[in-house]
Amino acid sequence: MNKTPLLEINGLHASIANKEILRGLTLTIYPGEVHAIMGPNGSGKSTLANVLMGNPNYVVTAGGAKLLGQSLLELKPDERARLGLFLAFQYPVAIPGVTLVNFLRQAVSAKQGRDVPIREFRQLLDQQMNLLKVDRDFARRYVNDGFSGGEKKRAEMLQMAMLQPRMAVLDETDSGLDIDALRTVAEGVNTLMNPEMGLLLITHYQRLLNYVRPQFVHVLVGGRIVKSGGPELAEELEANGYDAYEAAAAATA
Amino acid sequence: MTSTIVQEERATRLGMRASAALGEQLADLPAVAKLRAEGAALAAALSWPDGRRERPWKYLDVTKYDLEGLTPAIGAVTRDLVEVRRSCPVTGEQAALVVAQNSEIAIVEVSEAVGLSVAAFEGATGTAAATIAKHLGSRVAPERNRFTALHYAFLRGGVLVEVAANTDVRLPVRIVRGFVSPDQFAAPHTLIVTGANSRVTVIEDFHSSDGELTVVPAIEIVPGPGAEVRYVAIHHWGEKTRVFLEQRTVTERDSAIIAAHIVAGGAVVKGHLESSLQGRGSSSELFSAAIGTDRQHSDFYTVQDHVAPDTRSDLLFKAALSGKSKAVYYGLTRVGLGAKNADANQVNRTLLLSREAKADSDPVLEILTSDVRRVSHGAAAGPVDQEQLYYLQTRAIPLKEAQALLVRAFLGQVIGRIPGEAVQDELTDVIEERMARLR
Ligand SMILES: Nc1ncnc2c1ncn2[C@@H]1O[C@H](COP(=O)(O)OP(=O)(O)OP(=O)(O)O)[C@@H](O)[C@H]1O
Ligand SMILES: [Mg+2]
Repeated sequence: MNKTPLLEINGLHASIANKEILRGLTLTIYPGEVHAIMGPNGSGKSTLANVLMGNPNYVVTAGGAKLLGQSLLELKPDERARLGLFLAFQYPVAIPGVTLVNFLRQAVSAKQGRDVPIREFRQLLDQQMNLLKVDRDFARRYVNDGFSGGEKKRAEMLQMAMLQPRMAVLDETDSGLDIDALRTVAEGVNTLMNPEMGLLLITHYQRLLNYVRPQFVHVLVGGRIVKSGGPELAEELEANGYDAYEAAAAATA
Repeated sequence: MTSTIVQEERATRLGMRASAALGEQLADLPAVAKLRAEGAALAAALSWPDGRRERPWKYLDVTKYDLEGLTPAIGAVTRDLVEVRRSCPVTGEQAALVVAQNSEIAIVEVSEAVGLSVAAFEGATGTAAATIAKHLGSRVAPERNRFTALHYAFLRGGVLVEVAANTDVRLPVRIVRGFVSPDQFAAPHTLIVTGANSRVTVIEDFHSSDGELTVVPAIEIVPGPGAEVRYVAIHHWGEKTRVFLEQRTVTERDSAIIAAHIVAGGAVVKGHLESSLQGRGSSSELFSAAIGTDRQHSDFYTVQDHVAPDTRSDLLFKAALSGKSKAVYYGLTRVGLGAKNADANQVNRTLLLSREAKADSDPVLEILTSDVRRVSHGAAAGPVDQEQLYYLQTRAIPLKEAQALLVRAFLGQVIGRIPGEAVQDELTDVIEERMARLR
C-alpha cells in the first residue's frame, strides 16, 4: 500500500457564526481506504465536509488539512476540486436556469483543465448515466430544481462519476434513497472506487455500509472523533446509539 | 446679444420649420404630413417630462441632456449598400429584411411574399398607403409627451409590416436599423398591422455608432382578432446613444402580443410599453433581459391594462447590472371593472453584480374588480446567490465562470419564454456577447 496519506486532517478547529463546531479533529486516510463517520445530529459531520471543501461561511481557527500533501486551507473551493476533492452534499442546492448537462460539461472541462470535446463528453456522460441507472432526460433538467430527495442524491453521484475525484466525501448520500436506489448508488460507488482513491462516508445508517464496506469507522461527537474502529463499530452504534459517547464527551468538554 | 441669437438658433433645430422641411424632403403621404404637423405643433407647446410630477420619469431627469441642441436626421445620406450591409449585421433566415441607415431605408427584401407585405412609409402606394393612413398614430399618440410629439415631427424611416388574415409567416421579419451620424435626433417608426388569425414575428435590431445620438423609436402594433404578434427589439446601441422608445398595442378579440426587449447597449434605454387588452380573451406578454455595464441606465415603464373579460397578461423583466449601471422598472397592471376573470402576473428581478449597481423596482397592481382568476406580482434585487456560487465552485468551476454561468441562467430564463428556437438562439448569442463586458 502507498505510504503517503491521501487526506490528512490534523487538530482541526472550525467555527460558524462565532460558534465553534469542530474542536480538534484528526483523521488520516490513505489511498484505497474507505472510512465512515457516524455521529449524532449536530455533531459537526457536515461542517467537516464543508470545511474540507472550503465553504466560505466557516472559519478555520486552528489545525490543518492536506490533500496529496498540499495544504487545502489556502485554496479556493474550485482549486480543491481540481486537486481531486469531491463533496456529495447532504442538501444540494437547486440552480434554476442551468441544465445539468451544461453544468457537467463546464465542470468536467474545468476539472480536466481542457475544453473536453462534446463527443467525448457525451460518451462519458452516457457511460456514467448507465452506471448509475439515471434516466436519459435527467441531464436536460435544471440542476437539482424540483428534484426529489433521491434524485438529488443520484445527481450528486453522477457528478462524482463525471469528475472522477481522488478523494470523495459523501455526506449522507444514503438518506432519501429507496432500497433499490441505494443498491444502484452503492454499486456505482464501488465501481468508481479504485486503489488510488479515498472515500469518506458520512452516514447514520448501517445499511449503506453493507454495500460499501469501510475498513475504518469513526464516531464524531462534539466536533471530535471520540472513537475509531473497524466495521463492527458501525453495528455497535446501530444497536446502542451514541448515548455513552455523548455522555463521555460532555464529561470531558 | 450673441447668446440670444445662439439660443434661438438652437431652439429651432427641432422646431416646426425643420419638421416641415423634412416632410417636404421625404414627400410625405398625406397621413404622415398631418401627423408631422401635429407633432411639430405639440412639440413646440410641450415641455420635457418632469420626473418630479410624472412617475414614469422619476429616475431620469432628461433636462440634463442637451436635447435641444440635437439636429434632426434631415438631408440625404450618402450610402453605399455594401457598406450598409456590412455595418448592419444580419443573422439567420427571414421572411423579409429591411435595412435602414440613419433612418433612410436602404434595403427592403421580401422572400416570403404570400400574405406578407413590407413597405417603407416613404413612397408607399396602394394598400400600404391606405393601411398607413388608417393606423399610423392610432396606438402611440403624438400628444403623450414631448418625445412622442417630436417623434412624429421628425419621423423618418417608417416601416409597415402587414400580414393578411389567416397567414402564418413562418420566418421572422427582420428590421435592422443602424444610426451612425453623431449629434442627431432620429425617429424611426415601425407599424405592424395583422389580419385575423394570422401570426408573425418581427425582430427589430437596433445599432448605433459611438457618437452621441438620441433615438426616439415608436412601435405600433395592431393585431387582428385571433392574431398573434411577436415583437423582439434587440438594443445593440452604441455607448453614448440615448433611446426613448414607445411601444403600444391594443388587442382585439383573442389576439395576443408577445414583446421582448433585449438591452445590450446604449447609455440610456428608456422604454414605455403598453398593452391595452380591449379584446375579450386576448393576452399580452412582455419580457425584457438587460445587461448593464459602466453607467448604463435602462428604464422601463409598462402598462398592461385589462379592459375586457378573460384577458391574460404576463411580464418578466430581468436585469444583470455591473459597474455603476442602473435599472429602473415601474410597471402597472390594471384590472378594470369589466375585466372579469383576468389573469395577471408581473415579475421584475435584478441581479446586482457590483456594489455600485442600482435597481429601482415598483410593480403596481390596480384591481377594480373582485372577480379575477389570478393576480400576482413580485420584485427582487440582490447579488448572486452565494450558496449556488459555492456549489458550482465545488465542481471545479472558477468563481468568475461560476458567476457568468449564474448570470446566463438568470437572463436565459427570460429568453426561454420568448417563442421560437432560432430567435432564442440568436438572443442567447446577444447576451453571451454582451456578457464578456461583465468580466
Ligand atoms: N449558520 C450557522 N449558524 C450557527 N450555527 C450553525 C450554522 N450552521 C450550522 N450550525 C450548527 O453547527 C452544528 C453542526 O452542524 P452540522 O451540519 O455539521 O451537523 P451534522 O453532524 O452534519 O448533523 P446532521 O446529522 O443533522 O446532518 C449544529 O449545531 C448546527 O446548528
Ligand atoms: Mg449533516
